Amino acid sequence: MPEELKDKIEPTASRVMRTPRSLDIEITSRCNLRCRYCYFFNNPAMVYRDLPTDEWLTFFDELGSLGVMRVTLAGGEPFIREDLPVLLEGIVRNRMRFSFLSNGALIGDEIAAFIARTGRCEYVQVSVDGSCAEVHDSCRGQGSFDGAICGIRTLQRHRISVAVRVTIHRNNVHDLENIAHFLLDELGLPNFGTNSAGYMGTCRVNADDVLLNTEERKEAMATLLRLTAKYDGRISANAGPLTDGRMWRRMEEARAQNAPAFHNGGRLTGCGCPSNKISVRADGVIVPCNMLAHVELGRINHDSLAEIWQNSPALNQLRNRHTIPLTGFEFCAGCAYIPYCTGNCPGLAYTLTGTVDHPSPDACLRRFLEEGGAIV
Amino acid sequence: MNQTDRPIANPIVVLREEFDDWAVLFNPDTADAVGTNPVGVAVWKLMNGKRSIEDIVLEIKNSFEDTPDAAFKEIAAFVNTLAENGFVGLEVESK
Repeated sequence: MPEELKDKIEPTASRVMRTPRSLDIEITSRCNLRCRYCYFFNNPAMVYRDLPTDEWLTFFDELGSLGVMRVTLAGGEPFIREDLPVLLEGIVRNRMRFSFLSNGALIGDEIAAFIARTGRCEYVQVSVDGSCAEVHDSCRGQGSFDGAICGIRTLQRHRISVAVRVTIHRNNVHDLENIAHFLLDELGLPNFGTNSAGYMGTCRVNADDVLLNTEERKEAMATLLRLTAKYDGRISANAGPLTDGRMWRRMEEARAQNAPAFHNGGRLTGCGCPSNKISVRADGVIVPCNMLAHVELGRINHDSLAEIWQNSPALNQLRNRHTIPLTGFEFCAGCAYIPYCTGNCPGLAYTLTGTVDHPSPDACLRRFLEEGGAIV
Repeated sequence: MNQTDRPIANPIVVLREEFDDWAVLFNPDTADAVGTNPVGVAVWKLMNGKRSIEDIVLEIKNSFEDTPDAAFKEIAAFVNTLAENGFVGLEVESK
């Protein structure tokens, strides 16, 4: 490691709590839509089969005994499960709260009323990718926009918290201003989140039509940064162009000033999830994260979740990823941004490079600039 | 019915022991969470509606070394805070 980088980078220790605080559960492998960038379908690691009700209820009892606080139900489309009320009763009985990731189209009054009565729903996240059907449906299929908006209005009628997520892709990148106006001004949502289509699952098949190119990425970053200021922080992101725009601006400022390393910079620290939560696939296989569906840690109701959480070698290897310096990668050789870089998402790193313990090329600022990108 | 001075842990609240003996008390109905140290965990486990705060302090003094003189006051304040936030109730006694 170059001396000037050694001074800037100092690994930090991490501890693991006794059990996970929350779980992401793909409660079904079925979906009413076939979105062109879905990470879930066309994943060779996945087994597309559903578990019976009793298997999930037994597992929820285990989660209750471990003091798990929250579960997020995803899929597939979670509202496609006919036994959803029974599953939710199992979650409530085990003293947990829950949330959903949904396309909204299957949310009717009956299930919304049931959810509201539990008092345990944190939010239902509904995907909205356009300000109108033409844009939204371009990647999600005909009728999906109307379904999503109908679902949101149903949730609002029942006073259930709605969290909208906008996935940015080639067909909606020019519609962001209209989307913000539609969601925040017309629908009256308090806020919404953004990310972007990533090179996973079905998106790999449609990458040329869906993924943002450098120019579009630059436009998305500039537009989102402007809209975030205009709407006073009501637009958020944990990934995608808005996150990149903010992060890369900080990184460039730090580099220009030769500033000390960021506290998590210079190593593969891009993901803290394995310290707080864990995921379960629709077929009951426990994995570190939905984005790492190939890393099989065990199976629900066969293997102890607490044992996996505390002692799984694969999980602990992922947790120790933060000790791996970026200076050891040929990909990063000579990069001036190393002290400020986290290597980003291991899931994307895996799908793009075939290796989990590698920085994600998708999040590489140097590469973005070399390809004609600019800090906005 | 009269309220007694015997605190009882709200059965809906989850005690999550996380690091060493430190823990989080989580109320899934309200999403409120309170972090607590090992003494707080021990107090929580003793609040069964049968022990008064004095009884609980006595048991804590027997379980932990070097319990400070202010223990009663501190534990009473801890229980009151939990009660104010719905984590703890007071056992009700029928006349």
